[in-house]
Order: sequence, then C-alpha cells, then structure tokens
Amino acid sequence: MNAIFTVILISSLIALTFVAPAELLPALLGGAEDAAAMALTLFCIYAVWMGLSNLAEKSGFSKGAARLLKPLTKKIFKTENDEACENIAMNMSCNLLGIGGAATPFAVKAINELEKDKNEFAQKLLFVINATSIQLLPSTVIALRASAGSAAAFDIFLPSLICTAISTFCGVVLFLVLEKLKPRRKKPINKAYTGVKLKFKGHGSK
Amino acid sequence: MTALIIPAVFIAVFVFAAFKKVKIYDEFSKGVGEAVKFTVSLLPCLAAIFMMCAIFEASRLSAMLVNLLSPVFGALGIPKELTKLVLIKPFSGSGSLAYLNEIIAAHGADSYISRCACVCFGSSETVFYISAVYFANLKMKKLFKPIAAVLIATLVSTVFACLLCRIM
Repeated sequence: MNAIFTVILISSLIALTFVAPAELLPALLGGAEDAAAMALTLFCIYAVWMGLSNLAEKSGFSKGAARLLKPLTKKIFKTENDEACENIAMNMSCNLLGIGGAATPFAVKAINELEKDKNEFAQKLLFVINATSIQLLPSTVIALRASAGSAAAFDIFLPSLICTAISTFCGVVLFLVLEKLKPRRKKPINKAYTGVKLKFKGHGSK
Repeated sequence: MTALIIPAVFIAVFVFAAFKKVKIYDEFSKGVGEAVKFTVSLLPCLAAIFMMCAIFEASRLSAMLVNLLSPVFGALGIPKELTKLVLIKPFSGSGSLAYLNEIIAAHGADSYISRCACVCFGSSETVFYISAVYFANLKMKKLFKPIAAVLIATLVSTVFACLLCRIM
C-alpha cells in the first residue's frame, strides 16, 4: 500500500504542478471532506450492524450459525481459532445474503482474531474472498436499473452470479499460486494447496 | 423477496437474544460503541486514500490513464464507455456508483452498455478501500500479492461480464 500510495501521489503532484497548480489544495481538502462524509456514512452502517452483531454474539446466535459452517471454515482457513471461525462464518453468510454492510465488521473481527495466531494466510485469504465479491444478489444494481425504467431489471442476475463466481474463483486460485511461488524451491503448482502453510519469515516489515 | 431478508435477520436475532435473557439495550449500545471506535480507527486511512484519489483525478492523470487503457480494454472486449468505471471501482464505491448512474442515464437502462456496466459493478468490490479497512489495525502490510490477485481476478470477471451480456 505504501508503494502504491507513494507512486500515485508523487506522479499526481508533479502532473498537477504542470497542469493546474492552484487546484492542489482544494483537491486535498475535498478529498479529506469526502473521507469525513464517508466515515459518517460508514459509522451509520456499522452502528446498525455492529449493534446487531454484538447481540448475536452475546446470545450465542452466531455460535449456532457458525457451527454449521465450522468444519468448512476450519479446513479452508487452516485455523483452530473458534472465535475467528465464528466471525468468518457470519461474514460469509452476510455476504451471500447481500448484506455487505454487516459483512465488513465480522471480517475485521475475524482478522483481528487471526492476528493472535499470526495466521497471515487466513487473513489474506479472507481478504481475497471478500474483495472479489461473493454476493448472490446484486440488490443495489437491480434497484438502480428498476428506478431507471428498465423493462427487466432482474435479467442481469444470472450474468452477475456467474461473474462473481468467476472472480472469486480466479482470485483464490491466483492468490494460492502467488503464495506458492514464494518458497526457495519451485514445486509444481498442481498441489498448490498443500504448500501454503509456509512460514512468513521476515514479512513483518512495512 | 430480498426486502424480507433484513427484517427476518433482525427479528431472528432480537427474539433469540430476548429468549436467552440477554440485556438487549446494553449489548446493542455496546456494539454501537465498538462501531464508534472502529470508524475512528478507519479515518486516517480513509482520509489519506481519498486525498490521493482527489489529486489523482485533479491532475488529469486518471483521464490520461483512461485514454491509454481504453484500446487495451477494447482488445479484451470491454467497451470503451466502461474503461473509467472499471478503473474507478477498486478505489471508490461512491464515485463508481455516481458514474454508473451517468452511464445508465446516457445509454438507457436496457442497453448493452448499461447492462454490462451493472454486471461489472455488481460483481466487483472496492478493493483498495477493503484492504485499508481490513488491515487498518494490523502491522502486516505485505499486501501486494493478495491485491494483485484480486485485481487480476476482477479484470477476468469484467471480460466475462462483457461477454455474457452479449449472449444472455
């Protein structure tokens, strides 16, 4: 992230100095303002969902929901951490139901929980799955099309489903392959999964 | 049908919690308290990324990038009207939503371009924003590979989206 940020920032700064130097400060202030507005929006979303998720957690509701998915999450994420499994299971359920706002807090809790075991593999994998989008029903887009007067707002459902499946599948496979390429000796990629337990030595730096 | 999912989830959780004699008001407020802390912890990363996006846009570099990549995306079967959308989406959900609205308004809700744009929008995520949020409180910053994997996967699914919208 540091490298991306530095490259984009410096090249933009230089270009801006040539094109329109007076726009720099307004642009920065505008960006900060957008961030503040975004934070407020996010707070509202998180307030609702984290309030609810705390209730679900304290009453044992999420434990019950997670128990169904636990064997699967344990295997996929290579973790024995029950708390993390529970949060991952809730994250997945929310994603599939199309409640993206609720999915994020669960993912963050799971990631913080996995941090205790130094399980970077699971953290990254959870990120890849979430960032490639796994929702079943793209409700925002369907609502948007319906309000724009579409004759068949739902007809993008199937292509969307296929595409989101493709992106998650590709993302996970690519991620596993990239992680696999790390060890000193290259091994054939066909058993990508078994090699991923590699130690992340010396990766703690910024 | 989807409108019923959210109320159903709320009813299930609240009734279950009441049944289990959880102090609902206390615990709900405690959860909201966590949301406050969480949002505040995000603010520095959000501000930095949004400022970066703002000057990237203002410096015309983003427009140049769009022009530069349009032919490349075109060769992959992605219409040139979608280049900007595909490029913005990883950075900004609200920005790309605004642009999606523009596309729908300009081309009509049932045109190929609009349907394509909707599928691309619906089947991708704001990658950089998610990475900032998920890893805001961690020391681990080696995210190059996961982000690369996600971006490539998103591009692949975009190509498929444009293809599928032609035949479906």
